[in-house]
Amino acid sequence: MTELALRYARFTGRHPIVLTVPRGSVTRAHLPNSQAKAHLVTAVLKARAAAGEELELFGTATAELNARGRERLRRRVGAVSPVVGLINNLNAWENISLPAAYHGSPPLERVAEIAQEVLQRFGAEPQAFLARLPDDLDRLERKIAAFVRLLVAAPELAVFDALDEGLSRQESAGLSRFETEYRSRQPAGTLLYVDTKET
Amino acid sequence: MLQPLREIEGGIKLSLNVAGRLGQLRKPPILESFLRQVYFTGVTAATGVVLRASGLGALIIAVTLDVLDADIDLAVKILLWVVFREIGPLAAAVVVILRTGTAISAEMAMMRVSGQTRALRYLAINLYDYLVVPRVAAVMLATMALTFYIQALAVLGALVLSPFIIDASFMELASRFFELFAPVDLYYSTIKSLLFGFAIAACCCWHGLNPPELSQNAVPKVITRAVTQSAMLVLTINAVFAYIVFGILFFGLVTAKV
Repeated sequence: MTELALRYARFTGRHPIVLTVPRGSVTRAHLPNSQAKAHLVTAVLKARAAAGEELELFGTATAELNARGRERLRRRVGAVSPVVGLINNLNAWENISLPAAYHGSPPLERVAEIAQEVLQRFGAEPQAFLARLPDDLDRLERKIAAFVRLLVAAPELAVFDALDEGLSRQESAGLSRFETEYRSRQPAGTLLYVDTKET
Repeated sequence: MLQPLREIEGGIKLSLNVAGRLGQLRKPPILESFLRQVYFTGVTAATGVVLRASGLGALIIAVTLDVLDADIDLAVKILLWVVFREIGPLAAAVVVILRTGTAISAEMAMMRVSGQTRALRYLAINLYDYLVVPRVAAVMLATMALTFYIQALAVLGALVLSPFIIDASFMELASRFFELFAPVDLYYSTIKSLLFGFAIAACCCWHGLNPPELSQNAVPKVITRAVTQSAMLVLTINAVFAYIVFGILFFGLVTAKV
C-alpha cells in the first residue's frame, strides 16, 4: 500500500473534496475555488481539520492529536503561500532567518549558506536582495524569499499555493526551479501544488 | 458591558503571559526586537524632550514664586514634590504613549489585519514571545530611563535658570533641594515609571492584537482605544500609587519623609 504524506477530505460546500498525496510524489491539486484552497492550506499548516474536514498527515489522523503531537507534525510541513506571507517590517534576511533564529536550528551560518546558494541560482545578488524590505521586492522576489525560508525549514511536505498567481509568463517559466531546488535538498520530500479552477 | 470585562480579562492574561515568558528575551530575534524598541522608545525620544524638560522646571519655579508669592524654600519643595515626583514620570508617560503607544498599537493592528500574526503562528513562533514580551520589557525600561532623564533635566533646568528669575543662587537652591531629597523619591519614581511603562505597553499590545474587526478601518480605532486607555491607566496608577506611598503604606510602617 502506498504511504501517504497527506489525506484531506472536505464535505462541506457544493463540491466535496478528497485529496490523497503519496509520499515523495509531486501532486497537483486544482480546487474549486480560492476558499476551498485556503481551507486546505490552513488545515495542513495548522495540522488541524475544521468542522466538516478530515486530515491525515504522514499517516496520522490529526483529529486524535494533542497540542504537542500537532506541533510535531506542523514542523514537518511548510508552504509558499499568501497564508504564510512575509513580515513587513523585517528585511528579507530577517524574514528568512527568523524561524531558525527563534527555534535555534539550523545555525544562522547554514541559513546564510542556503540563502546565498538559492538566490544566486535565481539570478539575484544575495546581499542586495537580503537587505530589502518585502515592500521593495516584486511578487516573484517575495515568493523566492518565502521559498528560501521554506528550504531552511526543510519540510517533508511542501505546499506551493498558486505559485504563478500575479506573475508574468516569463516569470512563471522560471518557477520550475522551485521544484528542482526543493528536490535537490529533499530527495524524499513531497510536493503539493495547489491552485483553483477559477484561475 | 461585556467589552470592558473582556479587556480586563485579556489584560490580566497578557500580563501573566509576559511575566512568565521574560526568559524568552535571551533568544536572539527577541533580544534584537527588545533592543530596537528600547532605542525607539528611549533614545530617539530623549532628544526631543531636552529643552521642554529643562524649561518645565524653570517654569514651575517661576510660576510658583509669582502666583503663590512663595519663598525659595517652598519653590524648591514644589520642584521636588511636583516636578520630580509627579510631573517627571507623567511627562515621560505622555511622551511614551504618544510616540510608542501609538506606534505599537498601529504596528500590531496592521500585522493582525494583514495576516502577519497568522504567518508567525504557522512558523511556530509564539506571538507573546516575539511581539509582546520584547515590547513590554523595552517600554518599561525605556520609560524608567526617560523619567530619570526628564527629572534630571527639569531639576537642573530649574536650578540653572531660576537665578535669572528669582533672587537666589544656584548653590542655595541646589543645597536646599538635596536637603529635602529622600531615597523614597527615587524608589517612588522608579517603581511608578516601570508600572507606567508596563501599563502602556500591555494596553497597546492587547488592543493591537485584538482589533474590533479584521479590516484596515480597525487600525485608527485600535490606536484611539489604546491611547485613551493607556492615558486612563497611567492616571489611575498615579493616583493609587501616590495614595499608597504618601498616605499609609504597610499599616503605617513606611511613611515618606515630607
